[in-house]
Amino acid sequence: MAKKVKVKRVGFAIDMTPLVDITFLLLTFFMFTATFKTQAESEQKFVIQRPATSPSDTSKLPDRDLATIKIAIDTATFDTVYYYEVINETDRLTIWQNTQGIEPEMMTKAQLPVTKEMLDELVRNTRLVNSTTLFAIDADKRLRFEYINDAMDILRKNRATVFSYVTDKQQ
Amino acid sequence: MAGGGQISRGSRPKRGKATRREPKRVGFSLDMTPLVDITFLLLTFFMFTTTMAAPQVLDMTIPPEIDVEVEVRESELLSIFVRDDNKIFWAKGSDDPKPIVLKDIQALSERENLDPAVRNKLIVALKVSKDASYGPIVQILDKLNLAEVKITEEIAKELDENGEPKKRERRFTIAIQTEDEIAKLQEVQ
Repeated sequence: MAKKVKVKRVGFAIDMTPLVDITFLLLTFFMFTATFKTQAESEQKFVIQRPATSPSDTSKLPDRDLATIKIAIDTATFDTVYYYEVINETDRLTIWQNTQGIEPEMMTKAQLPVTKEMLDELVRNTRLVNSTTLFAIDADKRLRFEYINDAMDILRKNRATVFSYVTDKQQ
Repeated sequence: MAGGGQISRGSRPKRGKATRREPKRVGFSLDMTPLVDITFLLLTFFMFTTTMAAPQVLDMTIPPEIDVEVEVRESELLSIFVRDDNKIFWAKGSDDPKPIVLKDIQALSERENLDPAVRNKLIVALKVSKDASYGPIVQILDKLNLAEVKITEEIAKELDENGEPKKRERRFTIAIQTEDEIAKLQEVQ
């Protein structure tokens, strides 16, 4: 530049440092608190509308050593379908291998659609493989109680008498 | 974190120059404090709401296979019925079922469980129709659990033989209705 042109500028001196600081903080925060869907949740195509309970009960679902019986209403056919999910991967593989009626391509899945007989066998195998597994029933609130009662009977027969219902917090 | 609210006159000495230049600037220095405040508020808000979104559980304990019929004294039995149209009824012993609403269940349980005649001995039976919806049933279970708080508190006010506060012995069962019960409930409006 031959000539230095002095441009008359109105001074807008905004210090961007705090903005950047906060942005990074928020980013780190959301990175740490983002909960990822479990393998089962990402595979499933149905949505279970859980019943609502009061917020005073604060027990949470364990994230290990858990087997869930899910009873959902199929979005297309409106049939009631039972699903079975085991969280521990090593246990799951053993249980899937020991149960009849599971096709080879379903072996890698985290949750399976099952019949009541398969459910009985699965629960029994789960207790054999890992006796500390906790059970939960995650059912849609619109279902007739007899489906849940059948699931409870299966748990009762296999001596899993302590289990939990999965619910949503009431707004 | 650098504070952003400074009243700047732009008079920082530049490196390499001996003289301080004082460029005439219209001072538009923005005070960033409220921005930081709101951001922290948002942050805390999201912190609290993400933990609340986790699914809750309602713990259940059921008896193993019941092969033997258990004798129950009429006076020690409180039955709560859920009919196939999801209407709720209650009966003490073998009285006729009376209708009741969900929000009164907690008061019912507290009242009957703390009745001096059957204190800590009352058996609560939830008899459900096969065709009743699961959602309302869970809400009844929830209300009964809420009632347990007050009941346990009241029971603990008494002392037993060893001088310790009495422990709450909850007797609760959930089962499908029998044919008789279904018939009896159809008669009630």
